[in-house]
Amino acid sequence: MNAAIRFENVTVRVGRTEILKDLSVSFPKGRISVLLGPNGCGKTTLLQCLNGMSEIAGGHVFLGETDLSSLSGNERAKRIAFLPQVRSIIPAIPVQTLVEHGRFPYLGFSRRMGEEDRKAVRDAMKAVGISDLKERYVDTLSGGVRQKVFIAMVLAQGCETLVLDEPTTFLDPAAQREIMQLLCSLKAQGKTVITVLHDLDRAADIADYIVVMTKERKTAAAGDAAAVLKSGAIESAFDVQRAEVNAGGRLRQIFY
Amino acid sequence: MKKKNTLLFIILIFLLLVSAFLGLLFGSVDIPASDTLKVLTGRLREGTSYILIATVRLPRVLGCIGAGVGLATAGVILQNVMNNSLASPNTIGVNSSAGLAVMLSMVFFPEAVGARPVFAFAGALITSLLIFALAWGSGASRTTVILAGITVSSFFSAGINLIKILDDDIALNINTFMIGSVAGVSMKDIRLPLIIILLVFLTACLFSGHLNVLALGDDIAGSLGMNVNAVRFFLLTLSSLLAGAVISYTGLLSFVGLIVPHICRRLFGSDNRILIPASGLLGASYVLLCDLLGRLIAAPYELPAGIIMSFIGGPFFLFLLLKRKGGRRVAA
Repeated sequence: MNAAIRFENVTVRVGRTEILKDLSVSFPKGRISVLLGPNGCGKTTLLQCLNGMSEIAGGHVFLGETDLSSLSGNERAKRIAFLPQVRSIIPAIPVQTLVEHGRFPYLGFSRRMGEEDRKAVRDAMKAVGISDLKERYVDTLSGGVRQKVFIAMVLAQGCETLVLDEPTTFLDPAAQREIMQLLCSLKAQGKTVITVLHDLDRAADIADYIVVMTKERKTAAAGDAAAVLKSGAIESAFDVQRAEVNAGGRLRQIFY
Repeated sequence: MKKKNTLLFIILIFLLLVSAFLGLLFGSVDIPASDTLKVLTGRLREGTSYILIATVRLPRVLGCIGAGVGLATAGVILQNVMNNSLASPNTIGVNSSAGLAVMLSMVFFPEAVGARPVFAFAGALITSLLIFALAWGSGASRTTVILAGITVSSFFSAGINLIKILDDDIALNINTFMIGSVAGVSMKDIRLPLIIILLVFLTACLFSGHLNVLALGDDIAGSLGMNVNAVRFFLLTLSSLLAGAVISYTGLLSFVGLIVPHICRRLFGSDNRILIPASGLLGASYVLLCDLLGRLIAAPYELPAGIIMSFIGGPFFLFLLLKRKGGRRVAA
């Protein structure tokens, strides 16, 4: 597998508590990888190794062939864009200003944007379809549109790898579908997408690669979506059953 | 939007100029407006009017401007860094700890006026870090942080009163100091604090972009490559320098750092690149007008500016508390 990101024997501690121990897992390049697991299984802790919020107590994380620990914060942010889960802070700033924050790692001390930065911001807003809203204030938008604005912000970072932690939480089904379509279009542009989802049906729908974590904070399965879906790992991790149904002209996985 | 902001800025600048001029004009002795203008333009360099303006009213007006700019900017920084719209130098106890430090400097170095801002800064920084550690270390809610600030504030206020009781020789009117006032400040008192306030205010403007990113939350700021802890410590140092510099010559002025940023956020939104200069301008006018009101409202007696501020700030703070009801949206 041509891995975009590789965790090798990673241990993460918070205070004295060991959250992850000796965990090894890889995520392939140019595909959509979905990280699944019950609440508290360490998904967010694992992903937060990629934005510096989890302190790695042991092991290594490789970005391609580069050890992540050898990169500065700015260098890392130019290669991995990370959108954390539900935000309690909703800034009262225009959409465009928020998307411009995505250029933070590229700006010098003066924080002045050049033409390249402005183009990246325009392209990001266009890609998620929010160009018309650039002057609207973020706090006046609906949850779904707001989420798109935040996705545009991480797109403006211009990274090959995007990590989105639960991007559809609290969104209505239509907004969830739009976000899923957006992830697929990012893959079509050659980006690597790694995301945490709680909706197993949607995960089965869009994932090329699935990693299943268990309550014991171990990986139960990791591999191509079709193989993992059939392995039974999801059913035992979530205590659910799976069925295949023909809907919308193709075979879909339903978990119940 | 840009046009609206430009217009608002022009209004704020005009308000500041008018407030400053009124501050020079009014007082216990009537000075004609024409004389005030002559002194300001350098055409009058002698006589009672000149002496009064140059040695009494100008330092007082400059003191008010410095206090307003300093406390309002400190408020904007604290609200962003702590992600708490109720944070300000007085609500988290920074004012009173800086005040206690000033008292200590008066006890140990009574002649060294220059030591006061340094002590005040140290006091402000220690409490900022303490409250910040409490907020993040224990995961305390925003309202708990404010309650902790009020507790810390009472503790340090008791310390201030104790020192005054034990050492009655301190050349300080304790009542005025606790309420906060700019009456009687001299150029000697304000020279160093004003330099500090000006430099730190400009630095805060330079770092307003960082403040914007930090306001999105630690996780997003970290993801965008910011060294969150280093930036936060730096910004807390800036706000402590500002609060300390102001308190060293005004005493415990309240609520400027709370009211002014809130009004400006309503007018301009929460982009700190605009919010910081706007809050500086409005803060300066606010302190000038409160001081002026204190001079006029009970003339020929003077009320300290701090009393007027507390009368306005108290209900405003209560309004914010009731309006929020523990909600998390606002100060981003």
